[in-house]
Parts: sequence; structure tokens; C-alpha cells
Amino acid sequence: MRLSKVEQGLAYAALLLFSLVTILPLLLAFFTSMKGDDEFSLQAIRLLPLEWHPGNYVRALEMGDWLTYLKNSVWVTSIALTGSLLFNSIAGFAFARIAFRGNLPIFLTLLAGMMVPAQVIIIPQFLIMKSIPLFGGNDWLGAGGSGWLDSYYALIVPELAGAFGVFMARQFYLQFPKALDEAAYIDGAGYLRLFLGIYVPLSGPLFATLGIFKFVGVWNDFFHPLIYTNSASMRTLQLGLQTFRGEHQVQYNLLMAASLLISVPIIAMFFIFQKQFIRSMVASSVKG
Amino acid sequence: MQKGWNRFIPYFLILPNVLLFTVFILVPLLWIFYLSLNDYTMLNAPKWVGLKNYSLLLNDSIFHQAVKNTALYWIGTVVPSMLLGLVLANLLSMRLKALAAFRALIYLPGVISSVAVAMTWLWMLDPLQGPVNSLLGLIGIDGRNWLQDPATSLPTVIVIGIWTGIGYAMIIFLAGIQSISESLYEAASLDGASVLKKFWYITVPLLKPMTLFLFVTSTIRSFQVFDLVFVLTGGGPANSSTTIVTQIVGASFQEYRMGYASAMAVFLLALTLFITLIQYAIGSRNQAGE
Repeated sequence: MRLSKVEQGLAYAALLLFSLVTILPLLLAFFTSMKGDDEFSLQAIRLLPLEWHPGNYVRALEMGDWLTYLKNSVWVTSIALTGSLLFNSIAGFAFARIAFRGNLPIFLTLLAGMMVPAQVIIIPQFLIMKSIPLFGGNDWLGAGGSGWLDSYYALIVPELAGAFGVFMARQFYLQFPKALDEAAYIDGAGYLRLFLGIYVPLSGPLFATLGIFKFVGVWNDFFHPLIYTNSASMRTLQLGLQTFRGEHQVQYNLLMAASLLISVPIIAMFFIFQKQFIRSMVASSVKG
Repeated sequence: MQKGWNRFIPYFLILPNVLLFTVFILVPLLWIFYLSLNDYTMLNAPKWVGLKNYSLLLNDSIFHQAVKNTALYWIGTVVPSMLLGLVLANLLSMRLKALAAFRALIYLPGVISSVAVAMTWLWMLDPLQGPVNSLLGLIGIDGRNWLQDPATSLPTVIVIGIWTGIGYAMIIFLAGIQSISESLYEAASLDGASVLKKFWYITVPLLKPMTLFLFVTSTIRSFQVFDLVFVLTGGGPANSSTTIVTQIVGASFQEYRMGYASAMAVFLLALTLFITLIQYAIGSRNQAGE
């Protein structure tokens, strides 16, 4: 849309105002994270710290078992990410490119599962996790112990599948020309070689979209770790932050430092892969 | 179709997804109905009680409060976030230079985890030291303990919910606007249409499918609100900000009333399906009309 100078000026002003409103709490959190402890007792309204204390970040880190939380988050996120990319793309490939009995009904059933909110099925999921046989002190009938609860399995395994990922992969591979498959079959390549040799190398955009989706979902997940884990050594960063708050609530400078620290990976990802991020969010709407 | 054992390969390829779907979605889905008809504390075997849990639900005033709060959260967040998102998307679509920067800044609260968001607002709203009350003090308004006052706890959570939801709505609307053909606007300009007229007669009607999608997904998401509430208020004070999912989690994982909590979950599922069905009905009617 072409605009007059006045209209453009107004648009800029409105956007500036809005961005300021959305970003202000984060900005204030940053300033607060740099304030000295004694500044809070002054009760004076100051945006900027009187003195800058970047050391707050180190102090916040020393006050919690962040290394464990970080390790858990990185471990869970990276395995869930890798595994789901593999399983989703290979299933999407099968649904899109291979004619087999039950293809469409199975696909549609998976798709319907997308509508089930995680919170609705959390209770039976918890009971299933608790009853996985031969894990966590369980016997072969799944009784006696805690199964997969309070372990990486509970946080990772359910994330390895996902109707959304399969759906996206199928849509993506449907656009490929049929001739591609035929040429490969004439060469005597099987499904797996076709997938790994030709489809995977062309899947960059798909992996970016799905990968970002999964990364944000698992890294930021609070609900599942809260329900599935209880020992301190299994906490992810999100749970760790909640624990930290419980222990040091009044020390807002440190609480803000910790909050910003655990958000750094996702903010960095967002700024580096902004285009893919946006595409990933928009992709989630195509099914509408 | 290929011959021999090759025929089975596609089934192997979809096996991981089908297996995990069965174990972690399909079985839980059936189980939730079964559990809702039982009393189950995890210590004894489930005891069949028929519809008792549902009749308890009908008379549970705290659950009624939770449903009411969830509905208020839904009304309070979805429409304002979408309206603001639509306005911002329009501003951003005006070929401004700093588009990417503005888009990133406005979307940023949407990528940060709900726990970190909640922490930020706990500080903003701290009754003694927080910037919100300090600023209000400057203009002579006595601030209060927003999150711990039964009168303001839910509205405060709603405002924060709006803040986190604007970015997503904006991005979706922006993508929609960018897919509208430029020539429509140019033709309208030739006819002397103002910016507002173009917005009302071109943008709004063509964004209808995206609006429906956003409305439905945001609605469903708002029904599931938990993280923000849990960290900000814990559902309190005096259940003033409790929601359906807060009640489900409380009943199941704090009180171990698994059957009763399952009945609540069935209610949430029914609500979600109802909205999804409406979406299909409207969606297919629109398609038939085109």
C-alpha cells in the first residue's frame, strides 16, 4: 500500500508505541537484573540501575543448580528434536509418496489426534509412564516402581511423535514431482535409499520449520516436566526457574537475571532464524 | 505397489508415529472416559462409581468458578489479542522500512517461555517495589497487590495473557495480508478509497479464513491456560483466578482424585471438540459459498 508522508509518520509512531509497550517489561527486567541489592530498599522510581552489577548473573548462576537444569534441557530438547525430525519426515514421506493399504485412514486418524489437548490426557499419560514394565523398579507387569516417571524417557519419548510434524512433512513431500521417485525405482533404489538419498537432502526448509516448532515447544515446556518429574536432578530450566523463585523470591535482581538467562537461547535462535521462525508460525496456520 | 517384503516397508516407516500415537494419545483418550466413571486414588484398584464424578462436578462450586474464570480469560484475551494483532499487522504491511525490526520486537514476548514471562510480570506487579505501582503512584493512584487481591487477580492474568498473544495474531494476519494481491489496493486507490475504506472493504473480508483459524486456535489455547496462572497466582487467592486445567492438576496430582479429575478432563475435551466442530461447520459453509 502506498501512503502519504503523514500516514507513514502516523504508522511509524503507532508501531513505535506498540513495540515499546510489548518490549518494556523485558527491558525493565533487564535493568532490574543489573541493579544492586541495596537499591531495592530505596523505594525510588528509577528505570536504570544506580550502579550496574553484571555480576548478578554470576551470583544467580551460583545460587541454583543451573548446570544440571541446563544439561537436562539441552539433552531433552536435542534428542526430542532429532528424533521427531527423523520419525516425522519418514512417516510423512511414506504417507505422501507410497501407495499402501490404509494410507489415508491411518493418516487421518493421526491427524485427529492433533485436536486432543495435552492437558486432557495428562492423567492417563502419567499412569502409563508410571506403569512402563521393567523400568524404574517396575516388574514385567509394570507394577511396584515408578516406571518412566522422573526420568528422561517421560520427557523425551512422547515428543518423538507428533501429528503436526507428520502433517507438515506429508504436505511438503506431496509437492515433489512423481518423476523423481520413478527414476529412482528404475535405478533399483528402495524406499529407504530414495528417502535418504533424495528426499532428505531436499528437506532443509521442512526441517527448519519443524525443528523450530519442536525446539520452542520442548525448551519452553513447563507443564510436562512439572507433572512427570519430582527430583531436583531431573528439573529442566523452566522448572529450575520456578524453584529458584521459591527460594529467592525477594531478590528480584537475581530472579530477573535467571529469567533472562534461561530465555537467551530462545531469543538468540529467534533473532538468528527470524525468517524461519515466522515461517514456522505461519505454517501452523495452513491447515485452517 | 512393490512386491514381496517391500510391501511392508511403508508400515515400518510410519510405525514409530503410529506406536507413540497409540500409547500416548489413543489409549489415554479411551482411558480418560473409563477413569471418569471410577474412583481412583492410585493406592487401590479403580472402583466403579458410574456417573458419580459427573454429578459431583455439577455441584462443585469451585469447578464452576474455574469454568467461569476460564470463560472470562477466553473472552478477555482472544478478541483483544486478535484486534491488536490485526491493527499491528496492517501497520506493518504499509511498506515501512523497519518492518523486520518492529515485527521481531512485537513478537518477542511470544517466544519466551510462559514461566519467564510470569517472572517478569511478578516483578512488574510487585506491590512495593514493582514499576507498575511506582508509576501509578506518580500520577496519584494507589496501586494494590494486583495478583494477590481476589478482585484483580484474574483481570491481571488476562492482561498478561493479551500481552503474550498479540505477536502470534500479528504474524498470522501479516502473512494473510501479504498474500492479498497488491492490484486490489491499487484499483481501490484509483477509485479514491481511503486507507480505512481499503482496510474495511478489502483486507477484512479477505482475511476471513485466517480470522476463523486464529479465533479457533486461540480459543482452544485459552481453554488450556495453566502455566501463567500456576506461576503468577497458583489459582488464588481464594480460587479467584483458578481455571479448568488448574483444577484438573490440583485434583489429580495434589489430591490424587484421579477419577474426579478425569471427569473434568472429559469436560475440557468436550469443550474443545465443540469449538472444533463449529470451525468445520463454518469453514465448509464458507467453502460451499465461494
